[in-house]
Order: sequence, then C-alpha cells, then structure tokens
Amino acid sequence: MQPFALNYARPAAELEFATPYTYDSGLQLNVLLDGGIAARDHALLRELGTTTSTAGSKTHFDD
Amino acid sequence: MTVLILTSEEDVTADMVVVHLHALGVPVVRFDPADLTSGVALSGEYVHGAFRGHLSSAGRLVSLDGVRSVWVRRPGAAAARALTPSAWLTEESEQALYGMLRGVPARWMNHPDAARRARHKPWQLRLAQRSGLPVPATLITTFPQAARDFAARYPDLVVKPVSGAHPQDPPRAVPTSRVDPDSDFTAVAYGPTLLQRRVAKRADIRLTAVGEELLAARMPADPHADPDLVDVRFAPAAGPWQPAEVPPRVADAVRVYLREAQLAYGAFDFAEDADGTWWFLECNQSGQFGFVEVDTGQPISRTIAEWLGRPLADEQPRSVNRAGSALP
Repeated sequence: MQPFALNYARPAAELEFATPYTYDSGLQLNVLLDGGIAARDHALLRELGTTTSTAGSKTHFDD
Repeated sequence: MTVLILTSEEDVTADMVVVHLHALGVPVVRFDPADLTSGVALSGEYVHGAFRGHLSSAGRLVSLDGVRSVWVRRPGAAAARALTPSAWLTEESEQALYGMLRGVPARWMNHPDAARRARHKPWQLRLAQRSGLPVPATLITTFPQAARDFAARYPDLVVKPVSGAHPQDPPRAVPTSRVDPDSDFTAVAYGPTLLQRRVAKRADIRLTAVGEELLAARMPADPHADPDLVDVRFAPAAGPWQPAEVPPRVADAVRVYLREAQLAYGAFDFAEDADGTWWFLECNQSGQFGFVEVDTGQPISRTIAEWLGRPLADEQPRSVNRAGSALP
C-alpha cells in the first residue's frame, strides 16, 4: 500500500536542458560562451531557474 | 588562509559567492567530493603527536591548517565519480575527507553534524517552538485514527513530506497539498504522515540567516490564485520577491534557533497570516538563496563571502563551539 503523502505526488519537473555556461576550473566559476561570468548575469539566472528553491532537488532536499 | 567550498561544478549559486571571495582577495579551493580519486586528492599524516594534511584539486594544493572556513554547499557523495565507484569507496572517502576536516580549527557553514540534525523536520518544529516562533498545529503519525481526529479539529489542513526528500523511481515531487478533512486516512498506516493546519497566508516569507545577519524577503499571495495551490515552490509566481523588515521578536527567536542548532546559515520559510504573524514552516540548513538575491538585490552572497572570508582569529573569542558551526 502506498503511504498517504504519496497520494499527492506529481511527476518531477526535471531541469533537463543544456545550460549556456561551462565550469572553468581555473576561475572556479561557470563561464558563458562570451567569457562572461554566469553568476553576474542575473537575468539569465532568473530565466534558467538554476538558483530557485527546487533546483537540485533530485539530489538535495534542502530547498 | 583559504576558504574551502564543497559543491558541484554546476552550482551557479555558489559562483555568486566565489565572485565576491575573488573580489575580497580571499583564496578559494572549490571541488566536489564526488571527484575524489578522480581529480581530487587528499593526504593526512599523524606523526609525533602532530597532524599535517593536504587537499588538491585542479592544480591547487591547500594545507588543511591553512583552511579558515569550510562551506558545505551542495557536495556530491564522495568518490561517486571515481573510476570504479562503490558504496564501500564512498564510505571510505567520506570518512577520510570529513574526518580530516573535522580535526582542523576551521569555521563551518554548516558543520556536518549540525546539518544532519537540522534536516529533521520534527526536530525543527520543536526547536522553533522553544525558540519562540509560532508553529502551526502539526501532527506526524502512522495512526489513521489520530489523523482523523486531527482533521476533525483542524479541518483546513495540508500534508507535506516529513523529510522533504523527493521520491525516485520514478522521480516525483510531493508539494505541500491541501487535504480534504473527510479523506480516507487508512494509508497513514503505511508511512509517517505530516499533517498541518493550513495558514491562510497573505504572503510567503523567506528569511536567509548568515551568521547574525538576517535578510528577509516577502512575496504577497495572489488573491486570485487557486486556493489549492499552497506550495510557493510549485505555484505560479505571484510576483518578484521583495525585501522585508524582520519583526524584532522574530529576529530574536531566529537567532535563538540558530544558536541552539549551531547553524551559521539557515533559510527559514514562514507563512504570513492576515494579522501579520509569521508562522514557522521550516528551516533549510542549506537552502537556496540565489533566486531571492536575483529578485531583491539583497547582498546575500556577499554576506556569505564575508562570513567565510573572515580571518579565523576574529572568530575564536565569540564562537559557540569550534567543533560545531560557529556563530559570529
């Protein structure tokens, strides 16, 4: 039998998209294709949702 | 003295802090423990009554006695990406890495022991009560009859996971959801169930605590929103988060909570009711903050960087517990 709380479960929305930045181990930061620092582009972060409270929820449950 | 950051490469929220640490001129070593033995290496020597330890990653070598603070952000399981990963290798690697780090006099955000305890929601609810924060009536039970009785007393109620963990196979999310008080509660017997009186909220509050600094943000509830959508994480955004003042009584209680929990960082969720009362929902010891900073412009990442980058000597006289997460 399924626990009661799982009656309210829904399919997880996966963040399965390619982020337009890659990790630079020299800078220890993610860098955009034009060389800019991704973390400084707040409009991009808002659009991607990679800093939201459900980002990374698959592996971490500290939303 | 170096700031050690344990997190994944794709953690762009951590980047927001690294940018400030770079600007402050604070040395940083960042890696994901998942890369241990495959790009990340460690060594510790206990000889003649002394300890010398080193970590290396991406060409950087840091002496463990040169670590001023450790930020446990979003690390993967140790050695998860080793050439031949195994549960045994993960345990060996976790013990080696975190065991060595526990032995150095660095400040933690947050100490693994404090973090582990702080993830328990039932413990959070009790600590919040003891700290003076209003907590909605809550029941955690496997007794169906207790659930029925609770629903009779609090017919406007919600259910949420006890742990906050998300079920896998297949991946699912369990948002905080309204429950019909006449529901069949038989299945409560098959898993601990957290039922809570629903707070008729006029706003959601996210309070990010960094040491003694409290930065609160508020999102007013949409009066036309579907009343069944109670979980702000899964509902359409009613608007951007806006900076909010923290009522002094709440600030005092939050600081008591953090001190008791030995947390240097915490992201508190509150529901603000029509009277303006902030009802405690939970405290995420590693909660996200980037989305708040992006909306509000509040200097959360800079505050974290300043906390991590503070010289160790400044901290010692005021630390709560060098073995735990110190508070400034």
